[in-house]
Amino acid sequence: MSRLLTVENLSVDFAGAEAVRGVKLQLDSGECLGLVGESGSGKSVTARSLLGLSGGTVRADALRIAGTDALALNERGWRALRGATVSMVLQDALLALDPLRPIGKEIADALRVHGRHPRAERRRLTLNLLEALGMDDPARRITARSGELSGGQRQRALIAQALIAEPQLVIADEATTALDTRLAALVLEQLRAVKQSGRGVLMISHDLAQVAQVADRIAVMRQGRIVETGPTAELLHNPTHEYTRMLLRAIPAGVPRHTPLSQLGERITLTPRNDKLPAAASDPTPALRVENLSKSFDGIPAVRQVSFELPRGQSLGLVGESGSGKTTTARMVLGLTTPDGGQVRVNGKLFTPLPERERRTARPQLGAVYQNPMASFDPRFTVGMLLADALSKGRNLRVAGQRTAITELLDTVRLPAKLAERYPFELSGGQRQRVAIARALAPAPKVLVLDEPVSALDVSVQAQVLDLLDEIQRTTGTSYLFISHDLAVIEHVSDRVAVMRGGQLVEQGTATQIFTQPQHEYTRSLLQALPRLG
Amino acid sequence: MKTRRLFAHLAAWLFLAVLALCALAPGLLAPGDPLAIDPAAAFTPPNLTHLAGTDESGRDVLTRIVHGARPSLVIGLAATGLGMGLALILGTAAALAPRWLDGMLLRLLDALYAIPSLLMALLIIALTGPGVGPAIIAVGLSTAPGYARIVRTQIRTLKDSAMIEAATVLGRTGAQRTVHHLLPNALRPLLALVTLGIGQAVIWASALSFLGLGTAPPAPEWGAMLAAGRTYLHLAWWMSLFPGLAIVLVAAGATAIGRALGGKVRAL
Repeated sequence: MSRLLTVENLSVDFAGAEAVRGVKLQLDSGECLGLVGESGSGKSVTARSLLGLSGGTVRADALRIAGTDALALNERGWRALRGATVSMVLQDALLALDPLRPIGKEIADALRVHGRHPRAERRRLTLNLLEALGMDDPARRITARSGELSGGQRQRALIAQALIAEPQLVIADEATTALDTRLAALVLEQLRAVKQSGRGVLMISHDLAQVAQVADRIAVMRQGRIVETGPTAELLHNPTHEYTRMLLRAIPAGVPRHTPLSQLGERITLTPRNDKLPAAASDPTPALRVENLSKSFDGIPAVRQVSFELPRGQSLGLVGESGSGKTTTARMVLGLTTPDGGQVRVNGKLFTPLPERERRTARPQLGAVYQNPMASFDPRFTVGMLLADALSKGRNLRVAGQRTAITELLDTVRLPAKLAERYPFELSGGQRQRVAIARALAPAPKVLVLDEPVSALDVSVQAQVLDLLDEIQRTTGTSYLFISHDLAVIEHVSDRVAVMRGGQLVEQGTATQIFTQPQHEYTRSLLQALPRLG
Repeated sequence: MKTRRLFAHLAAWLFLAVLALCALAPGLLAPGDPLAIDPAAAFTPPNLTHLAGTDESGRDVLTRIVHGARPSLVIGLAATGLGMGLALILGTAAALAPRWLDGMLLRLLDALYAIPSLLMALLIIALTGPGVGPAIIAVGLSTAPGYARIVRTQIRTLKDSAMIEAATVLGRTGAQRTVHHLLPNALRPLLALVTLGIGQAVIWASALSFLGLGTAPPAPEWGAMLAAGRTYLHLAWWMSLFPGLAIVLVAAGATAIGRALGGKVRAL
C-alpha cells in the first residue's frame, strides 16, 4: 500500500468567502474514502481542488497526489495529471458529455490527450471497458451521441471516460445520485472494482447509505470543515459528532412509517389522529380509484392497463425506474394527459374521462407537488402571491386580504410568515418544496399526487420534508399518491406499494408484503439493489 | 466597469427625460417658432443665438430639432405599438391554434418576413400615399412579423411548462391561464426588444420622411430636415449634422435602455 493522496490544512476561498477550510484527507491505494456532506458543505470544491479546477484561491500545508506536489503545479502540470493520474466521474451525464460527439470519441479522448496508444488500440480499450461496464453491444454504442442513449448508458459512458486511462485516483462526485437503485448499484460495483485493482477512490455524496456501500473510511463535511472522520463501520455505529448522527437519522431505509426522521433522540412512531379521518373506517369509497389506464405515444405504449386504489387517509407508493410510466400515470390521474383508455375516479366520482369544463369543479380535490417546484411557480410571483392565487381560485393575487390564510398555510409547512414577501428563487431547495406543498394544500385537497417530491433534496432536507408530509397526513387525513424511484423512501412513506415496470404494474400490495415477501422477480431484483446500513 | 455602465444607464435615462420634455412641451426648451422664416439670416453657421445654425430659409435648426422630437417619437411609438399589437394577436393565435391554422399563420409571417421591411413600407406608402398615418402603418406592419415569431415561440414554450400545468391542476380556466400566466411571462422578455424597436422605428420613420414619404415639409421632422440639408451639405453642414445626431442619439438611447432592461429581465 502506498499513499495516494495527502491533503493537509486545505483552504479554498472565492473572492474572500471561504468555501473550504482546514481540510485534512488521506487516501491509500486500494482504498475508498467517502466524503459526505450536504449541498454547500464544500465537498465538491474540495474534490475539484484535487484536479486544480476549484476556480478559487487554494492554500494548503500539503497537497500531494500520487507522489506529485500539486501545490507547485502550473496549468500545464495539472493538465498532465488530469485524466491520467486523477480523474473525476461527473454528476450530470447529460451535461458532461458533448452532445455532438460520439461517446466513443469522448471516452477515448482521455487516452488521446495524453498521447497514449494508436487509434485502433484506443478503440479496442474503449470497447473492452464498456463491455466490462455492462453496456450491451458496445461496438454500436460508441458511434452514438449522448442524446441517443438512455440515462444508464450515458452514466456508463461517463464512468468509462474517467476510468479509461487507468488513473490512480478516481473521484466520483455524486456519481450515483441521479440514478435508479439498480443503476446506482452497478456504478457502486464499478467503484468497488477500481478499489480492488489497487487504485484509490474518493467518493463524494450527500447520501451516507450509498457511500457506506463502498467506502472503507468516511469523512463527514459541514460548512467547509471536516467534522468527523473514521472507518465506515465505526462511523455508522458510533458516530461521535452530532451532525453525523443527524445524517444517519435522516436515512429513511428501514424506518417504520409515521416515525420522524429529522428528530434526534428516541425514535417514536406516531399514530394518525383518527378524529380527522371521519369517513376512513366507515366509508369504503377510495379517495382515488384508477381503472385500466392506458396510454401510447406514437404507437409506443407508455402505460398499459394500470389499475389501483388509494384508500382514504393512506399513502400509495408508486415505485419504478425511470421510463417505467410512473409520471405518465401521475399525469393521467391529474388530468394533464388524456388516456387512450381507462378511468380515474376521485372520491367515487368520475374524473377522467370527462371534458375539462365538467371536471373543473372537482379539481380542488386533487393537488400536485413536483420534483422541481421552481418550474411550477410563476417567476413573477412572490411566495405570498403564489399562495394567494391558489387560495382565491386565481381571482386574487393581493396578499393583504388573505394574510391570515397565507400565514396559516406557511405555518402548516413550518415556514415563517415573513417568507411571503420573498420570491421562490431566493429560497433553498427545501423551502421551495415546502412552498409547493403549501400551495397544493391551499384548496384543501383530498388527494395529493407527489411526483418525486424529495428526489432533488439532500438527505437531511428530505427527512424534514418527509416528516412534514407525514404530519400533514396524520392531521388532515389527506391521501397521497407518492411516486418515487427511491425504494427506501417508498418503504418509509407507504401503506400500500405498487411496483411499475415497462408501463405495467407488476405487483402491488401492502408495504409490508412488498418489502418482506416480494412475489415478482423484478421487485426482488429492486430490493436486492437497495442499499442498507449495518 | 460597473460605474461606467451605471453612468451609461443614467445618461440614457436623462436623455430620455429631455426627449420626453421636447415631445411634450417643446416651447419650454425652444421658445421660438419652428416655422418662422428669416431669409436675411439664412445659412447662419452655429453661433450663440443659433446654437445649431439656421437653414436655407433662416429657420433656427435647434428649435426645429426640439419641435421635431414629437412627430419622430409619435411615429416611433405608434408604429412599435401597432407592430407589437399585431404581433401579439398573430403570435398568440398561432401558438394556441390547432396545427393547421398555426401552419397557415406561420407561412403568412414567413411571406411578410421575406420582403425587406423598408421595401414593404415603401409598398404600403405606394398604395396609401405619403403622410404621418401611412408612415406609422407602414413601419408598424413591417415590424410585426418579427415580433409575432418571437411571441409565438415564447407562448409555445410556456404553454407546456410546469407553471401552466400547475395552474391547470389548481382548476384554472384557459382564459385565466392565458391572462395571468401566459401573456405576462411571454411579454416580459419582449420589453427590452420593444425598447430597441422604438429606436429602430424612429430611424425608419426618419428614413421615410427623408425620402419625402412621411411628414411633409416644412413641418419640422428629423428625416425631412436631413433631406433638406442634403442639398446644401457643401455650404451648411450643420443643417444635416444636427438632425442626424438627434436620430442617432434616440436610437442609441433606446438601445442602451433596452439592454439595461434586457439585463434586468435575465436577472429575474
